[in-house]
Amino acid sequence: MYGFIWRHLPGNTWIKALISLVLVLAAVYVLFQYVFPWAEPLLPFNDVTVDNQ
Amino acid sequence: MAATTDHEEHTDARASSPAPRRRGGGRIAAAVSVFGELLITAGLILGLFVAYSLWWTNVVADREADKQGDKVRDHWAEDRGPVGLDTKDGIGFLHVPAMKNGEVLVKKGTSTKSLNNGIAGYYTDPVKSALPQDKKGNFSLAAHRDGHGAKFHNIDKLKKGDAIVFETKDDWYVYKVYATLPETSKFNVKVLAPVPKESGTKKAGRYITLTTCTPVYTSRYRYVVWGELDRVEKVNDERTPPPELR
Repeated sequence: MYGFIWRHLPGNTWIKALISLVLVLAAVYVLFQYVFPWAEPLLPFNDVTVDNQ
Repeated sequence: MAATTDHEEHTDARASSPAPRRRGGGRIAAAVSVFGELLITAGLILGLFVAYSLWWTNVVADREADKQGDKVRDHWAEDRGPVGLDTKDGIGFLHVPAMKNGEVLVKKGTSTKSLNNGIAGYYTDPVKSALPQDKKGNFSLAAHRDGHGAKFHNIDKLKKGDAIVFETKDDWYVYKVYATLPETSKFNVKVLAPVPKESGTKKAGRYITLTTCTPVYTSRYRYVVWGELDRVEKVNDERTPPPELR
């Protein structure tokens, strides 16, 4: 999978490494900004109040 | 050196001769390797989620709490006469020296969305909280134990006799811890009662209740700390904090 992506990136090794880094950062950004905030309330780690539910 | 070259020649030779058999095995190998890479990816994502929960949410929440806290202090400094209680932006700041976490802005409500801003909220539901200036009642608060500012992370450091100070525009309300409940069910709403019997008290008074989740990093149970009002000090011009905070 990662090998496949690597082979299909354009340019020489340095350019590939640079593009890979950008892709990784983009993935982390999407996770931190959208995926984790969505997933967090669904997981039982952060309920702090006492209530009847 | 010789050994390496030898080895390479060896693999080259083998790769070229039985080509058809290698293609079949290659497909399985490729599938296994993709599966392996997916597992590694899942592991990395879970690791990132831990970093997100325990670090990044604190960064975001502290920034937001500072901003909202500054706003409240600005309002106080502007001093627009004896206005009513400002419940929208926050009613004051909680200082708990034993928790070593500075000041915590207190706002109305305990919704996840509002607590995620790194503040403490006073209950409006299921038991309506009293406010410090009320003659009798229980001022009940909730905040995060981990992540999102983790304002009550060190709640377990609170011992009997420790001070909990609540700062409003005009007064310092100094409470003293008199009971703790290290573990209780999340359905136990009785701890918020105006006279919280579980803390050992029977008569109406001016109480404060802090609630958060326990054990750390999970929210299976709730941790509760009760305090009773010791005294009220007027805020002076320099906003000199009471001795407990010095």
